[in-house]
Amino acid sequence: MMHFLLLFSRQGKLRLQKWFLPLPERERKKIVKDMTTMVLARKPRTCNFLHWKDLKIVYKRYASLYFCCGLESQDNELLALEILHRYVELLDKYFGNVCELDIIFNFEKAYFILDEFLMGGEIQETSKQSIAKSVEASDMLQETMEEYMSKPAF
Amino acid sequence: MTPSVRLQEMIRVIRSARTQGEERGIIQRECADIRAQFRQGDNGERSHSLAKLLYVHMLGYPAHFGQMECVRLIASPRYSEKRIGYLGAMMLLDEKQDASLLITNSIKNDLSHSSQYVQSLALCTLACMGSAEMCRDLAPEIERLLRASNSYIKKKATLCAVHIIRKVPELAELFTPTARSLLSEKNHGVLHGAVVLITELCERNPDTLNQFRKAVPELVQIMKGLVTSSYSPEHNVAGISDPFLQVRILRLLRILGHNNETASDAMNDLLAQVATNTDSSKTAGSAVLYETVLTIMDINSESGLRVLAVNILGRFLLNNDRNIRYISMTSLQKIVQTDHNAVQRHRGTIVDCLKDQDTSVKRRALELSLALVSAVNIRSMMKELLIFLSTCPPELRSQTASGIFNAAERYSPSKRWHIDTILHVLTTAGGDVRDETVPNLIQLITTASELHCYTVHKLYRALVKDISQQSLVQVACWCIGEYGDLLLKGECEEIEPVQVTEDDVLDALETVLQSHMSSPATRGFALTSTMKLSTRITDNVDRIRSIVSIYGSCIDLELQQRAVEYNALFKKYDHMRAAVLERMPVMDKNSPGHTNGDTSGEIKEPDPSKPKPVEAGLLAEPASQVCDLLDLLGGTDTPIQPNPAPASTATTTSSADLLDLLGGLEPTPVLQTVTVTVYEKNGLSLKIQCDRQTETEVTVTLISSNSTQTDITNFNLQAAVPKSVQLQMKAPSGNVIPAHGLGQVTQTVLLNNPNKVSLKMRIRVSYSNQGAVHQDTVQIDSFPSPASQPSISPL
Repeated sequence: MMHFLLLFSRQGKLRLQKWFLPLPERERKKIVKDMTTMVLARKPRTCNFLHWKDLKIVYKRYASLYFCCGLESQDNELLALEILHRYVELLDKYFGNVCELDIIFNFEKAYFILDEFLMGGEIQETSKQSIAKSVEASDMLQETMEEYMSKPAF
Repeated sequence: MTPSVRLQEMIRVIRSARTQGEERGIIQRECADIRAQFRQGDNGERSHSLAKLLYVHMLGYPAHFGQMECVRLIASPRYSEKRIGYLGAMMLLDEKQDASLLITNSIKNDLSHSSQYVQSLALCTLACMGSAEMCRDLAPEIERLLRASNSYIKKKATLCAVHIIRKVPELAELFTPTARSLLSEKNHGVLHGAVVLITELCERNPDTLNQFRKAVPELVQIMKGLVTSSYSPEHNVAGISDPFLQVRILRLLRILGHNNETASDAMNDLLAQVATNTDSSKTAGSAVLYETVLTIMDINSESGLRVLAVNILGRFLLNNDRNIRYISMTSLQKIVQTDHNAVQRHRGTIVDCLKDQDTSVKRRALELSLALVSAVNIRSMMKELLIFLSTCPPELRSQTASGIFNAAERYSPSKRWHIDTILHVLTTAGGDVRDETVPNLIQLITTASELHCYTVHKLYRALVKDISQQSLVQVACWCIGEYGDLLLKGECEEIEPVQVTEDDVLDALETVLQSHMSSPATRGFALTSTMKLSTRITDNVDRIRSIVSIYGSCIDLELQQRAVEYNALFKKYDHMRAAVLERMPVMDKNSPGHTNGDTSGEIKEPDPSKPKPVEAGLLAEPASQVCDLLDLLGGTDTPIQPNPAPASTATTTSSADLLDLLGGLEPTPVLQTVTVTVYEKNGLSLKIQCDRQTETEVTVTLISSNSTQTDITNFNLQAAVPKSVQLQMKAPSGNVIPAHGLGQVTQTVLLNNPNKVSLKMRIRVSYSNQGAVHQDTVQIDSFPSPASQPSISPL
């Protein structure tokens, strides 16, 4: 099971945080700080796996964003790389050539997409098309309601 | 979709702030706006405000005032408000907040909502932050959804069930029946969820595990279908059909096949098929292969399959991708104990990985290399490891050093090689070795008696070159002190002879003594070995005498004490000096070691640079801390004298004293322990003898003797100690002390000092003698310990 998924920029600014475990706020802040320090300190052509306390940390850099997740000891690290990649693909499909700004200004949508892909630290759906369809349908639902109420979404 | 204008506007404004202070100001204003918004109630703007608040929260600012708003929004009929409300709940609420309970009802309602997207919101939130309470409340709902709903909801309900089981394990029985039937679903999402659910159930309950073993054929079928299926665009990743599902099924098979012949048999073919057919050129394929290898190694697979697995790992080792090399080494580490020979074949590649740029890979390679060291390859491996030690990153050094020591200890082909190796490590990474290294090395040296000459020469040369590595300097000083005569003789077969004069040696030791690089412990070593040399050299005894007397006024308490005692040895007890400073006997490694904490004589000087853990009874600290034994109650063969400090140094009896510290666990020959008289009056003398001392416990024996003409009767001792110390007085051997010193009364006292305060004890003595009742009190301010002598103040 994944314990957390973090997205942060090269300057260490947090862009998305998803926690699959109940942890107090202070604990979360500490983990974020540790992760950013550890991952940003890694040199370019090193492997994507780290050890932190009893968790395996898998991270991957996409353009200016670092995707970092914490796994338990029985989880498959290579698969985690695939999971991160899948998430990026979903974002890319949704936003069309996604970049960091998209995620900054539409963070709530990034969360909605993530919630269609992962749940409780596990994968929910393995088909990209299926996820894309659901997100689209939810957006439509939202929009229709808003159009009906003739107000902008947020 | 229309962009979220107001939210985005705020984000833009915040990002344009040029300083942290400016940003804080903007955020404060926005939060005030948001709070006002929340107070106004429902006007269609709430969701915008909450969205803004969530952004502010992500930047790290407090957002707890939004919790109630989340609850309200979740209860709203509008989908957009629900959506943001649930997101807010997942971000701001966790099971520790009280507000989280308030959403239970909303979730319950939403779980039966007509729109599946609303249902999915509720399921997602429950799986993310549902507390045990909420899970218990809603479990029946989830179970219902598991059975009867469309696949979109089913897959979410399954993962929700997984969460519930993790939170409330007792509810596992509720989901077990449905879980099995889910395996016949076609939808990959549901199938994946089902496999996760079954995995969770099996991990928690061995009976359920037995039950689900019957599902192995079904799982094998599903896997076969995935592996052999034709290209399906929906699930294909780099040529592998749904690697996520494949990996999950393999993991479940691993659990089901573990320690079970039938289940393992059923999956043998499949595993062979997956292992041979999966294309591992991309990460997805490698992930599946990796999981397959792990499964093969963990079940009762046939040997052919195991060989296949190890070969796959070997292939991974040669892969260009660092990630794959890393995980192959992790897997090899797991099997190195069981399939040692198979892994040995890849030793060359593994050792090469030591030179990799990546620290993670280096670390794995190090661990694996250390596990692969054997009697056969020790020499070549050690060469590689020593090279590695000199170039490795600092965080790996101490692990490498201790690994090298362990390996050397187990497999060293010869004593000389062993000593050379340890010396090499000390010169390269002396600062990173563990504290036990010094006594261990010294003990090793004493046992290799034929190498004393060689060792002392080598150490002397190392010392002259560099005195910064404390462990090395300590060992060198000790050896020079012990074997100084061999050093001065100059000849040695294995090393080119170099003439060393007495002055050279004393110069070296003095440099150590005076250098600011030397730690207090090291200086102690140096001082004692200087002293020992006084019996081994002939011309410069005066120089030694002057060194010793100079340090008599040293600020460092430990050194001062030693110097004063050595001075005493020169002055009053010169006749004993030779005996006292005799050569140490060979130390037995298995004698009950005494406490590490004492031996370095650092009780009085808390030395932050070398905190020594107290490990009583571990490896013998082979009185290697010989110089420290100086202060141990190491008696000599001569009678003990009370104040001042008894002349005691490393002597033949010191190892016996070692044993004595533990209260004589081993039968020892002539054993004189130090007893110090704490009270002497009217013919009654009370001595205190320290039997055993650790950092938190002291065991002493109070020995009372009577030198008067008549017996002492009704002898009674009472003791008081400081508050945090616990005192336990055992029964005395008697309460009559015969006259004329014909007998003694002994009483053991145990002191437990968990807070490590300075120990003091007040003893009240009461007895009858010659018809008169006597009472007196003695206060002992500090206990006989390796670093000090008791100071007594009779009251």
